[in-house]
Amino acid sequence: MDYLIEGLNALTPGQAVMWLIGGLLIFLAIKKDMEPALLLPMGFGAILCNLPLSPVIGESGIIKSLFEVGIEASEAMPLLLFIGIGAMIDFGPLLSNPKLFILGGAAQFGIFITIILAAMIGFPIEDAASIGIIGAADGPTAIMVSQVLKSNYTAAIIVVAYSYMALVPIVQPAVVKLCTTKKERLIKMQYTSNQVTKLTRILFPIIVTVIAGLIAPESLSLVGMLMFGNLIRECGVLQSLSETAQTTFSNIITLLLGITISFQMQAEAFLRLETLVIMALGLFAFVFDTIGGVFCAKFMNLFTKNKINPIIGAAGISAFPMAARVAEKMGIQEDPSNHLLMHAVGVNVSGQIASAIVGGLIIGLVL
Amino acid sequence: MMNMLLAFENLSPMNGEVLKASLNILWQGLLAIFIVIGLIIIAVSVTTDLIAKGSNYKAKHGDISIKKIFKKK
Repeated sequence: MDYLIEGLNALTPGQAVMWLIGGLLIFLAIKKDMEPALLLPMGFGAILCNLPLSPVIGESGIIKSLFEVGIEASEAMPLLLFIGIGAMIDFGPLLSNPKLFILGGAAQFGIFITIILAAMIGFPIEDAASIGIIGAADGPTAIMVSQVLKSNYTAAIIVVAYSYMALVPIVQPAVVKLCTTKKERLIKMQYTSNQVTKLTRILFPIIVTVIAGLIAPESLSLVGMLMFGNLIRECGVLQSLSETAQTTFSNIITLLLGITISFQMQAEAFLRLETLVIMALGLFAFVFDTIGGVFCAKFMNLFTKNKINPIIGAAGISAFPMAARVAEKMGIQEDPSNHLLMHAVGVNVSGQIASAIVGGLIIGLVL
Repeated sequence: MMNMLLAFENLSPMNGEVLKASLNILWQGLLAIFIVIGLIIIAVSVTTDLIAKGSNYKAKHGDISIKKIFKKK
């Protein structure tokens, strides 16, 4: 009868703790609606992978195989997800006012400053860079960078990245209020919807791909997939493919990605004191991204006639489209007639491109 | 603080080489991202201008040819 309690005998306290963490992720996904598409599969996967003698992570186990093929071998899953994301993004608001792109770049500041802090704390440079990329506020980029750099903390980084993305509406307003005056938050920005021609929309993804490829070739996998998805959307002759990329395709990849990532959530790799430090550093990255975007807007106001409301600078962290919605909500709270949404969306989508480029740059600079 | 960090088995705080590498990533990364962004802004602005110029010309003359657009009147 020993075979009946074989699993129970093999259970370790660490695995039991991982069940609790899995349960917490499922709770956050269902009850708090925090990134449910990712946190729910990851939560269930955390339980699945931490059952004693679990065959799914054994030699030729399904989750192990998915991980090896879909993530470890070529980072295919996060990259393919970028096609779907690209197909979802309308770059129109950014193309109407291209200078907003600067804010998207500035809002990556938190990534770099967090890398320095993580290095000071004592993480090896590969891990420090992977932790910093939490500030990209972009799950696929975090997965890709931490995998390519072979970080020892991939699972913790991904869980923290997705968790904080869901906390953007809580973290950002507090930081923006601390960094701005009431007068600055009341700045009204006129949105003149400059007609963006179809040709511009078609050329944009090609231009971005070529420039990113020439200056930061390591970013091409991420930027290329993102822009490929966008070209499918904008070309006007592939509606069916565009819809599929935005819905079915993205859903399938997201579903597989969540459960596959849980392969990294095995107790011995995940339950470390360093995970707590990574959580603190992730928050630090988000805060400094927001500060970077806000202060860049304030700096630009020193030289421009049409003032920028610094709130939209905060939307430069990728987290699409949540960060833009947060900026709109903050603007309305200050003045119900002050609608910042379209400007914030422009900054937000530029942050999406900038974070992908920075992800590639960091890979190139570390390796 | 330092003692607390040293309690983490895999960490080696204030490692000069790692710090230097992280500072390199900071300045090289920021420089590269703003160069890329600057180039994209310039390219998009030029493209938009050229397309607008082309459309105006087409509206006026009904025919579009690169040579004619840039030809002095």
